[in-house]
Amino acid sequence: MIQKKICMIGTSGVGKTSLVAKFVHSLFSDKYLTTVGVKIDKKTVSVNGAEVTLMIWDLAGDDDYQRLQTSYLRGTSGYLLVADGTRAITLDQAIEIQSRVAEAAGPLPFLLVLNKADLAAQWEIDETRMDELTARGWKPVKTSAKDGPGVEEAFVELGRLVTQSI
Amino acid sequence: MRRSARDPVEEFEELRALLLSRERELLRELGERLTDKEQRSHDVAAVLPAAVKISREGGEKLSHALRPAVEDSIKTSVEKRPQLFVDALHPIIGPMVRRSVAESLRRLLQSLNQTLENTFSWRGLKWRWEALRTGKSFAEVVMLRSLVYRVEQLFLIHRETSLALLHVAADPSMTQDSDMVAGMLSAIRDFTRDSFQVSDDSALEEFRVGELQIWIVSGRSAYLAAAIRGNPPRELRTALEETIESVHVLKGSALAQFEGDASVFESLRPEMESCLHAQYATKEGGAKTRAWLAMLAVAAIAIFGIVLAVQSQSEWKDFLHRLKTQPGLVVTEARKGWVSRSEISGLRDASTADPSTLAREAGISPSRIRFQWKDYLALDPASVMRRFEQRFPLPKETQARIENGVLLLAGSIPYEWVDRVRREATLIPGIASVDEQKAVIVYDESLAQQRFQQQLGLDEAVHAAVANGILTLSGEASHRWLARVRAEAIKLPGITSVDDRAVIDLDQRAFEQSKSIIEAAFIYFLTNKDDIATEGFAALSRLPDEIHRCENAAKQIGLGITLEIHGHADAVGTEAKNADLRQRRANKVRDFLVSCGFDSARLKPIGMEQPLNAAAGEKPAPEQSDRRVAFKVVTQPVPAAPK
Repeated sequence: MIQKKICMIGTSGVGKTSLVAKFVHSLFSDKYLTTVGVKIDKKTVSVNGAEVTLMIWDLAGDDDYQRLQTSYLRGTSGYLLVADGTRAITLDQAIEIQSRVAEAAGPLPFLLVLNKADLAAQWEIDETRMDELTARGWKPVKTSAKDGPGVEEAFVELGRLVTQSI
Repeated sequence: MRRSARDPVEEFEELRALLLSRERELLRELGERLTDKEQRSHDVAAVLPAAVKISREGGEKLSHALRPAVEDSIKTSVEKRPQLFVDALHPIIGPMVRRSVAESLRRLLQSLNQTLENTFSWRGLKWRWEALRTGKSFAEVVMLRSLVYRVEQLFLIHRETSLALLHVAADPSMTQDSDMVAGMLSAIRDFTRDSFQVSDDSALEEFRVGELQIWIVSGRSAYLAAAIRGNPPRELRTALEETIESVHVLKGSALAQFEGDASVFESLRPEMESCLHAQYATKEGGAKTRAWLAMLAVAAIAIFGIVLAVQSQSEWKDFLHRLKTQPGLVVTEARKGWVSRSEISGLRDASTADPSTLAREAGISPSRIRFQWKDYLALDPASVMRRFEQRFPLPKETQARIENGVLLLAGSIPYEWVDRVRREATLIPGIASVDEQKAVIVYDESLAQQRFQQQLGLDEAVHAAVANGILTLSGEASHRWLARVRAEAIKLPGITSVDDRAVIDLDQRAFEQSKSIIEAAFIYFLTNKDDIATEGFAALSRLPDEIHRCENAAKQIGLGITLEIHGHADAVGTEAKNADLRQRRANKVRDFLVSCGFDSARLKPIGMEQPLNAAAGEKPAPEQSDRRVAFKVVTQPVPAAPK
């Protein structure tokens, strides 16, 4: 069975941990995030009929108080870049973080996730922004860690991306 | 144009023959080789070993492919020619079975030894207590406590991706998700390195969590993380380093090209499992010494206990001896209680000393003994003596003892004490009589005098004093009392004789007085007649009262009286006539007295003889004083009146 390390990256409060919690049953407590700065979970997904085990490194949110620990990125096969669709600024931050990650870990497959899709009324990412992202070659996925839609698909898609080279 | 005249087909064939003749030859040879089965077998045989090797390196496909055929062929062979297999396996199976049985026996013995030691040793008890306290099974506690160290889990982790390549555990029930643990371990390694800013080539090598420590041994592309319980020796790190090196040698390229498929590292499992060392505490000299010490301690305690028991038993015997020799105590049952209270039952005379005192004297606390005594009367001399002394405290200088029921007294004994003893000693059970032969009884004079007064009374007119046993009396007393004193005083203790010379007998004196009055009285008669003269009547009239008085007084002093009536006559006349006259005159008075009521038997009229004249021949003159009757009181003892 193939195993792949992937990371959850994004600003604090965008819902990285909630996405993972929706996706897997955790072994470690969330306390690790604030202490060690990372929490590791595991989920097996099926990609093109083959089973892939994703080792999900949920990294502590990048903010003014805690910078992304790039050493945790080592060896990762790809990552979910998470932004909060109800706060456009998190998308800007995600873009900024992505460039840092690319600098530290090299060009890696990743998937932009716009979380909190359930809060449609407060949605701040308009079509223009979406087009702009598409123009960058990114394929943003809308998810709702609260209700579930898009979550499984996002992980499976990332699984597909990281196993593509094989 | 000759060239063009030739058949182009032929020309082409010729050209082909020219150009490909060598290849054709080769093809022919190859064809021959392929059709030649023998040759082909040779060829395959030449490449087969290498081909199998390559195939195995590439995966298990060859094994999978061969397995059914090999299995079938073995099965067929075993079925058809079993002897072949028996012969082939015999040299292997024989020693294997022997070794297996020997190993099983050795383990059984070892387990038995361990069980015995763990069950009966102090440590075993401690472990049992710990098992009870912590809820773990005893076996688990024994394993953990006798463990020096044990490598419980070993992770082979890919350095770059932090993915677990292989996980082996001593206990198959450890089902933690090795992938996530490996990931977290890597994260922690990174975390420590980042947090404390150490150089890149440094990394977390070990950390400890309670009884568990994690050792991390790094290799170029992968590292080993060992979870170890207990205190591992440093050599273990060397062993782990050798293992990771060996992993790199065997799987160097697989590690470098790792893309997430850990299955290629499965073949390292035996190598990894060989690292699951464990070392248990061995019981050597120390244990033996401890065992000896423990035995010595037990022996010392046992000896101490025996000494205590012997001492206690000796005290108990001593106490029982004291009890049994104690007069007035009869022990009927004695039971020594080692833990509970001892019990003693029997008979106890009320006069006997408290047995608790005896217990204290023997060194036993009375509170440890329950006495059950029934009252009885002890008749042994000591008990009787004790009872006697309780009732009659012995005076100084007095000795007493009991012999065959006789109270033997000796020494100087006060009368009053011995008097009580005489009266009451025999009331004491065990004393039948009192022997005071060897005793000198001493009397207190004042008490003797007191006794005299109490016994006989004392008139106010009499004074009595006792000195040296002599009762000296003075003053006046009645005759009756004096007579009683004379008769009885010497019978009183402390009085041996009576001196009554200084006492006047009042009754005697009254009698003497009355007697002298009577004897001084004269009854005068007329001349030559037995008629009482006038003066005579006066005297005679007083006489009966006086006689009565005299009689009474005499009676008081124990006498009876007879009154002699003496008749007298003067000298005138003849003697014969006078004699008759004298008798008649006496009779006359007697008759008078009888008439007055006196008993004639007590009256004795006597004619008295005529006294001779001093001058013989001289004519007697008539003298009135001669014509008289006089009296004499004669006393005689009164016979005791019949009662």
